Amino acid sequence: MTPLELELRDLAAHLEIPTSPSLAAAVRARVVRRRHRRRVLALALAACVAVLAIAFAVPASRASLLRFFHLRGATVSLVDKLPPLTPRLTLGEPIPLRGASSFRLLLPSERRPEGVYAGDGGYWLRYPGLLLFEFEDGAGGSVLKKAALGTGKVEYVDVDGEPGIWIGSRHALYLPGGPPRASGHALIWQHGPLTLRLEAAVRLERALAVARSVR
Amino acid sequence: MEPSAEETLVERARRGDPAAFESLVLAYQTLAFRVAFVIAGDAAEAEEAAQDAFVKAHRALGRFRTGEPFRPWLLTIVANEARNRRRAGGRRVALTLRAAAEHGAAGEDPEATVLATERRERLLVAVERLRESDRDVLVCRYFLDLSEEETAAALGIARGTVKSRTHRALARLQEELA
Repeated sequence: MTPLELELRDLAAHLEIPTSPSLAAAVRARVVRRRHRRRVLALALAACVAVLAIAFAVPASRASLLRFFHLRGATVSLVDKLPPLTPRLTLGEPIPLRGASSFRLLLPSERRPEGVYAGDGGYWLRYPGLLLFEFEDGAGGSVLKKAALGTGKVEYVDVDGEPGIWIGSRHALYLPGGPPRASGHALIWQHGPLTLRLEAAVRLERALAVARSVR
Repeated sequence: MEPSAEETLVERARRGDPAAFESLVLAYQTLAFRVAFVIAGDAAEAEEAAQDAFVKAHRALGRFRTGEPFRPWLLTIVANEARNRRRAGGRRVALTLRAAAEHGAAGEDPEATVLATERRERLLVAVERLRESDRDVLVCRYFLDLSEEETAAALGIARGTVKSRTHRALARLQEELA
């Protein structure tokens, strides 16, 4: 090494270079934010696909999609025209409350259902004036699809920290393989790995109280 | 960092292990900041450049070739970020020497210390007067103690160019000091 090179090396030790700040926390936060943005984008794309699927599933209605709401196991689209609706005739195969379902059924506190049925890719629990439908997400075609009139009251709600959708108007319920069925007010929400749907002629506050009591 | 340990961390980070990537950040943040600082010449810009570089490196991990050394690859990204900021800023903030009181060793001849400081100041001014490409190669090689390979990666030039450019920059520096 020449004297000039040695001088340059010596100079390096005398340079005013600030101490490096800790970058780890800031980098971690930005990486996590970016991952979150990507997840949101992926969810948005999945929702778009679901909405398109609904649009193709209800060609008879020739409905225009106005807006959509999406949960892990359900999609609600607002349309300008509902399809022709058929009344519900049966809820499925009657089963006992315990032991016959593929997961432990959740119940509103201190209430036993009048009947439990296996059908539509999940389980129906019938109470006086109230229907509860429970299914596991991703259990092969058990995704709820609903179409509500654009003028109806549809909103995202929080059910004990889990996301939910409230439909405060008459709407169409699409279950796997069936025709669109008429449905009244309904609250759909996630509960751990399950998605639950409560249908009753009640206001949002009452529906939320029942949903929050489910264990 | 041991090459095998680094390779393991990179592989884990590629598979999405955040703790592994954080270990890489902790291992290289000082070097990344120093590289960014000597190129950008400003602490705030250097911090942003280093931070952006790590985020970009994380995003590009999928394209990182297994078995390649991580350090030069990261330095390329850091130096690019720092150069972009230098260009955007439109000016280069010159490096400075630490305050004399900090490097005057106790018991040293005060006159000798003053002379040495003057010599260093002259040398630093001469380095900063060089054209950017010459200054950067000297900064990488002698101020940051980067290898020829790492300097080539940081500056985006061939290893042979590092050799020839270093030789030319030293000759020009010698002329400046004459």
